[in-house]
Amino acid sequence: MSGAMDASATGAMRTVALGMRLLTMVALIGIATAATNAVAGAQSAPDRTASDRTARVERAELALRRGDRALAERDAAALVAEYERRAGTWTARDHVAAGRAYLIVSSGDANAVRNALRAFDSGTAADSTFDEAALRASDLLLEKFVAPDATQGYESVLRRHPKNAWALLGTARVMEFTGKGDALAKAREAIAADARLAPAHLFIATLHLEAERNDSAQAAARRALAIDPEALDAWAVIGAVAWIAGDSAAFRAALVQAERVAAKPAAFYVTLSEAAARQRRYADAERFAARALELDPLSVPALGALGTNRLRTGDIAAGRAQIERAFAIDPFNLWHKNTLDLLDVLAGFRTVRMGRFEFVTSAREAEILLPYLSPLLEEAYEKLSARYDFRPQVPVRLEIYPRSADFSVRTVGLTGLGALGVSFGHLLAIDAPSARDPGTFNWGSTSWHELAHTFTLGLSDNRVPRWFSEGASVLEERRARAGWGALASPAYLAALKTGALRPVSQLNDGFVRPRTPAEVGLSYYHASLVCEMLEAEFGPKALGDMLRAWRDGLTNAEVFRRALKLDEAALDERFDTWVRARFADAHEADLPAGDADLEPLQREVTRAERAHDDTALVNLLERMIWIWPYDQAVHVKLAEAATRAGIAGKAVRERRAVIALGPSDVLAARVELARALLAAGDRAGARREVLAVLEGAPTYEKAQTLLLELRQPPPGARP
Amino acid sequence: MIAHALPCRSFRDLVIHLRPAALGLLLAAAPLGAQRTHLLLVTGLGGEPQYSDAFVKQGTQLYDVARTQWRVADSSLTWLAEDPAKDARRIAGRASRESVGAAFVALSRRVGPGDLVVVVLIGHGSGEGPASRVNLPGADPTAAEYAAWISGFARQTVVFVVGASASGDFAGVLKGPGRVVVTATRTAFERNESLFAGEFVRGLASSEADADKDGRTTVMESFAFAVREVAKGYETQRRMLTEHAVVSDSVLAARTVYAAAASSGDPRVVALVAERKALEEELEKLRSRKAAMPEADYERELERLLVAIAEKSAAIRAVGGRP
Repeated sequence: MSGAMDASATGAMRTVALGMRLLTMVALIGIATAATNAVAGAQSAPDRTASDRTARVERAELALRRGDRALAERDAAALVAEYERRAGTWTARDHVAAGRAYLIVSSGDANAVRNALRAFDSGTAADSTFDEAALRASDLLLEKFVAPDATQGYESVLRRHPKNAWALLGTARVMEFTGKGDALAKAREAIAADARLAPAHLFIATLHLEAERNDSAQAAARRALAIDPEALDAWAVIGAVAWIAGDSAAFRAALVQAERVAAKPAAFYVTLSEAAARQRRYADAERFAARALELDPLSVPALGALGTNRLRTGDIAAGRAQIERAFAIDPFNLWHKNTLDLLDVLAGFRTVRMGRFEFVTSAREAEILLPYLSPLLEEAYEKLSARYDFRPQVPVRLEIYPRSADFSVRTVGLTGLGALGVSFGHLLAIDAPSARDPGTFNWGSTSWHELAHTFTLGLSDNRVPRWFSEGASVLEERRARAGWGALASPAYLAALKTGALRPVSQLNDGFVRPRTPAEVGLSYYHASLVCEMLEAEFGPKALGDMLRAWRDGLTNAEVFRRALKLDEAALDERFDTWVRARFADAHEADLPAGDADLEPLQREVTRAERAHDDTALVNLLERMIWIWPYDQAVHVKLAEAATRAGIAGKAVRERRAVIALGPSDVLAARVELARALLAAGDRAGARREVLAVLEGAPTYEKAQTLLLELRQPPPGARP
Repeated sequence: MIAHALPCRSFRDLVIHLRPAALGLLLAAAPLGAQRTHLLLVTGLGGEPQYSDAFVKQGTQLYDVARTQWRVADSSLTWLAEDPAKDARRIAGRASRESVGAAFVALSRRVGPGDLVVVVLIGHGSGEGPASRVNLPGADPTAAEYAAWISGFARQTVVFVVGASASGDFAGVLKGPGRVVVTATRTAFERNESLFAGEFVRGLASSEADADKDGRTTVMESFAFAVREVAKGYETQRRMLTEHAVVSDSVLAARTVYAAAASSGDPRVVALVAERKALEEELEKLRSRKAAMPEADYERELERLLVAIAEKSAAIRAVGGRP
């Protein structure tokens, strides 16, 4: 499978940001009025009690939630000071109040975070039956990416109280964070245990938003609001849904409500930024994050969103500055730490501008890969421009990562992403072939795939649905070279036969909410067939027309009607008929090998060698290089075959590749390069190369022979 | 005068007639003014077929390098191995402690002043310090015993290569004036399987180790080649480098060639070689001035000298010499 178009494979990771904000809300629900009353009552009492301390911290939290950071920090700091003077007599509840106060003043203070955890633990030590202490400690640990310890805390509570809604919700969040388990089902368990647990409704809303189930997201957010009308993040979800749908009136209404809750609703804009990024509208995501930052300059999520999206749009220096600032405020943020580490790696990479592309990779990979990649992508750009009648702005930046973990961090902020490539529009990133085992993927077709996204995203103003963009990219891979791109597999034929594949109108679900892990891979190929059918049945301009319709803000149904003159049901039926006819006679045994399968190619190479078919040999060896470019023997063989076939340019390229791979005998390899240059008519290049060899090895016979040959006039030259 | 003249003429005739054959014999037996190279090769216990086979393969390659490239006389070429039956033609005997000791004694009787004695141990290493060893059938000789055995080669240059895991401590035990000790590992604690011997032998067998392509591989060149290729091997296999080879005296290693160049008795060749040598010295001077010269001037002069050197080499070959 080729790469994901965006970071949506990381839904689990991305929702954590919002989820983490929700964690702090658990104890806030319904307390706004109570807090005010409690504090008012407490202030009149001469002796400040435990409930007084809880009320004080709740008031500070409320102030923070409403955007008054100064007030919140002042009140929390007073409580912290009191705690640090005489904590010995405090109750479990008081310890928890102190922990919460520490968190309010923890901006840029790692020790405050540690003290908060210590205070929660002290609460548990003071009263092991006081579950809130353990739960707040777990929430904090999860917020700081220590999921295993967080799980222990939730589980310890659940052992005593299996229906504890807070612990169930915490477990759901752990599932979402780790990608293990059914987070939605677990969150519903939490609601079953306590229907008025607004954060659980809100968490479900974010899950739906992530999966592009926008109606469900909105409904869940409204359920949260019915319980807590001041749930700012619920208004943010509603605002995001409205923005995605282009419903400006609903968006404005949500914003007004958010501003009613908080004078400076930074969180509202952070949620919008995340939703925009999920829609691959990175410029909008950047704009929303910048607005959030204006409202709260210390908001870590806002800084992170702004920095991340600037990195996605290629503004590396500004992006780094924002992430560094975010990390200074919250040094426990693993995403930001990983991203800064990655930027250090990127700083050691070489940036090479070739034609319309800016390549960023290690010096070694640049030497090996770019002689192939640059012409391939130039060819892709030309062909795709002609097909879609659209020319994306250049340069397009392609980052190539020799370590898959770095690519993963670049894409989603964490390691472990399974995809091979990603397109943020004008910024593409792929695994270098060396990042994976030989035969894992085809780096040529992957690069072509990602560049095709640049066209579909650009032409649609980033409004193309994922299924269409992936389908078009896979189709373009197939057109690029024989044998490239996803092909029918036994699993696909079985899914087609059993009706397990989605109709066109629901195909996006195959990507964003697959029923099984395998469905995503099947959906790539299925979507490519939809695109193939659209071109075959509606003409070569159909895909471009649809992209322009999306650009104009139309819904899927409206796009089908405008570009294809069909409603959704009719398109579903038409494609179903087409695809079943196409595979009516398909048999598993006839299915071709994948585009990263080296073994069949190796067998064909042997056959071509025996037949002395140099033209075929050149073609086959080139296909092998697009799978694994690090085998010197393949390059030498290709150089020799190209020489015999009279393709001098290719022989030169291959001799250079051998040198880039660091041969045991580099001088011999350079002499071979000089010979190839001479054969290609580049006498000056050959001379330069052979002189460079002889400079270090003046008596090297092979080089001397060539040097003397070069002194002779070329064949056919006038004496 | 006439009577006197006859024997002179006869002698001159004799010289004229005998010259090609006599010179040939002279070159084959002992190049004029050149060192003689002696090789004692010991391949140890494999433990597993894959290692036994690899050690035999490396031994075979090195044996052939010594014969064909270093022109080591059969009498100066001894290979002791785990199983002599694996290659009865090349392997002189079983690699026991006693036979290795005896081989050193035999070698000591053949060497002359200025000769090069190359000792190569290939196998699995163990132990530490003076007790470091390469596993052989029966009792293993220790590094201290090897040190005693080579102590008599004071008037020769000794190159002692230990291509074995955990061989690092051999260097400290064996080092001394006129000796180059090469070990596959830096310490006795680098005990994982070592790739060094394989790459060391490959570099010599393929001549790829001859970095400056002058036809004369130095110990340093072969060491550097092996180090580089071992590192590449680990990188290719995505493994952490767990062996770090060491050479005891890099200056002597850079000066020591496994086989001295065969000098020619042909005055034309001698003259051409001398002329080329002068050009090479001129080139060396030019290279030292590179940073201070305009690039175009440097390149022009470089090409002139390199062409002149190439023409001299071609002339040497044309008259039957070895450039």
